Amino acid sequence: MRTSINPRLRKPAWNALAGVVFAAAWLVRGGPLWWVSIPAVIAAAVRVISLYRMGATDTDEGALAGSRADERQRQLSLRSRALACNLAGVASFVGLTAAIAVSAPWWWPFLAVLAVIGFGYLLGLSNYGVAEEGPADDADTGYQARSGSR
Amino acid sequence: MRNRVREQRVRRGLSQAELAAALSVSRQTVISIESGRYLPSLPLAFSIARFFGLTVDKMFDPDEEAGS
Repeated sequence: MRTSINPRLRKPAWNALAGVVFAAAWLVRGGPLWWVSIPAVIAAAVRVISLYRMGATDTDEGALAGSRADERQRQLSLRSRALACNLAGVASFVGLTAAIAVSAPWWWPFLAVLAVIGFGYLLGLSNYGVAEEGPADDADTGYQARSGSR
Repeated sequence: MRNRVREQRVRRGLSQAELAAALSVSRQTVISIESGRYLPSLPLAFSIARFFGLTVDKMFDPDEEAGS
């Protein structure tokens, strides 16, 4: 079922949800740091409001924030995400290498990030590319075999 | 790749915002296409050509550099 939420509200709504979940995690954790949930909610609210306001501006960022991006703006977003992912991969590799070099126990989060990036990449290949390719034209009974026999 | 979007738009007395609205893209995308910084997808290239009543190969010339 397709929701009829106003496009301008989509990104702010997702950010609001993420902010509430993050704040709730601090509350559920309890202990002396429960109050972190308050600045977390405030930060989320600021982000939601700024996203909503940005969504009305006549800029590429505004179009992305307002979920009304055209093909160039979607491509821009895609390339930015790819760059961010590459940087995350390089940073994780550097972190993993450094952790191994100093025999630190915190090597595994870097490996987990690298594994997720690698899995995501393979998932992308299988979803968007390789699996959709069919046989080459000259593999069927077609033109080239006949024209070669002339 | 050189294109004739700006030339055709000016000839018809349209603003970039008006052309963007007609093509259902952003004004920034029209600016990027006109300056040759962005090559539109095939569907958008056809939409642009159709809007101006020309063929795609009349609107976009692959043999010429943008800005030349």
